Amino acid sequence: MPIIQTRDLRKVFRSIKRAPGALGALRTLFTREYVDKVAVDGITMSLEAGELVGYIGPNGAGKSTTIKMLTGILTPTSGMIEVAGLVPYAQRKANARNIGVVFGQRSQLYWDLPLIESFELLRAIYAVPPERYRRNLASFTALLEMGDFLQTPVRQLSLGQRMRGDFAAAMMHDPQIIYLDEPTIGLDVVAKESIRQFVAEINRERGTTVILTTHDLADVERLCRRIVLIDNGTLIYDGTIEDLKDQYGTHRTLVVELCAPYPDFHVEGAEIVEHEGLRVRLRFDRNAFGADVLIRRVADAYAISDVSIEEPELETIIRRIYREGYEPKAAV
Amino acid sequence: MRLAPYLAFASKAFAREATYRFEVFTEVGSLVLRVYLLRSIWTALYSQNLAPLGIPLHAMITYATVALLMSLILEVDGTRAIRDRIREGTIATDFMKPISLPLYFFSDGFGQTALHALLVLPALGLALLLVRIDVPPPATLAAFALTFALGYLVNFFLNFIMNAVAFWTLETFAVQLMVRWASDLLGGQLLPLTFFPGALGAIVQALPFAAIYWTPLRIYIGELPPSQWGSAVATQVVWLGVFGAVAYVMWRLAERRVVVQGG
Repeated sequence: MPIIQTRDLRKVFRSIKRAPGALGALRTLFTREYVDKVAVDGITMSLEAGELVGYIGPNGAGKSTTIKMLTGILTPTSGMIEVAGLVPYAQRKANARNIGVVFGQRSQLYWDLPLIESFELLRAIYAVPPERYRRNLASFTALLEMGDFLQTPVRQLSLGQRMRGDFAAAMMHDPQIIYLDEPTIGLDVVAKESIRQFVAEINRERGTTVILTTHDLADVERLCRRIVLIDNGTLIYDGTIEDLKDQYGTHRTLVVELCAPYPDFHVEGAEIVEHEGLRVRLRFDRNAFGADVLIRRVADAYAISDVSIEEPELETIIRRIYREGYEPKAAV
Repeated sequence: MRLAPYLAFASKAFAREATYRFEVFTEVGSLVLRVYLLRSIWTALYSQNLAPLGIPLHAMITYATVALLMSLILEVDGTRAIRDRIREGTIATDFMKPISLPLYFFSDGFGQTALHALLVLPALGLALLLVRIDVPPPATLAAFALTFALGYLVNFFLNFIMNAVAFWTLETFAVQLMVRWASDLLGGQLLPLTFFPGALGAIVQALPFAAIYWTPLRIYIGELPPSQWGSAVATQVVWLGVFGAVAYVMWRLAERRVVVQGG
């Protein structure tokens, strides 16, 4: 039984069309013309409990609108939506108990008070039993290394510390589902890694369902098996990252470091993409033969010092999809 | 409904206000200064005209001082958070919490008020070094406390309505400034409403602003005989009902606006 389910989910924003100029403004007062903007255009998806899904798409694709509908603060124009057995917009407060939310760009912590006070407040809001609260606090403090700044007012925390605080805050009431919106934006590599480990950990140990919305595809590649890709309010891909990479070509690149320059370097079955000095990049179809075969062929003919294989980067594929649209089985 | 979260909101707001120590001290300081200035002004005015409209000088000074102490509490606007959070966009995360937001703003404001109410005591102590104020009999004090509490609630809803306007306009500063001036002047914070002549006086006394300062204050200085306390309280309750209803309708509309239009 899926924990999150939507069918033909649609959201149309209606705004008053404003005619230009002062006269137009006057006319706007009396005659109402509306402009409809379709933000989400028939999204059907379903998530099983315990999944960790990357929800990605370009700016304005409808990601935030979907998340808002899932959290219950936005009513869909039409379509079905169910989260942990509840209809979020109709049962907003009940739904709120099941979910946790982290926004990279805004904080839900109490600005002027020590971090720990925000946790205390959340304990009261969600009526977390004392024993459970103590256990969660201890566990999150250790996992996110918050011991040094629990007593520091939030306004004095660094962005990395604040984000860790926000994660702990979102998880304090053991939500079944957690929505992450750009959670690593602006963080340094160490802080990013700490956050990623935390997300992986709660997903694995607590079985928390995670929906990760981000533009940082390294987050997605590191954490998610499955991605849901949307553009212009419609779902364009829903599946594993691996399948997407396969659909965008089974080509891989073999990078070879040569011991000496070979101006007439060539190898059968592979295309030379780049040949500069001692470095050669070879493109080959991994369905035709394995990398081991290619390496042997190169090594038999030339003296080489090093080899490495480049997988197609998710980022490259996603960039292409944003630009050209999604075409399954397109060759890279 | 569980009360625990709202008690927590109030106590956190109290703690938060207390972190701004400098502001707290300057507030007490400025209050004492204003008490001194008001005494000087009224004494000067009374030297020209003894006991206008039957309010003797000591009652007038009592009135002005108590009004100032009340303003220490009534000028705390907990619902300002509504406007701030709408502008910052954080109101959306507030809607993702399993709580009643109007009650949240009320308890947060109440917590802030509680801290400022504590400040009334040292401020009163210092003020008493400068001026002598009348202390009415216990029954009158009790009636004052009740009408002050009702006035506090009317004031809360008035502020709530003003700040909730931000759901539509984002900005409320100008509106609030005007309403604040009107309510200070027409509500009796600056001077007793009996000072307004004839028809103007009648209108001013019929306005809702009178329920905030004027009703408790006229009971305190003995301007309103006990036989009329009941109807004064009833009038406050009516205004409370009206403002409460307006605030409720506005909140429902605001909520709809957020969930339909996305704020």
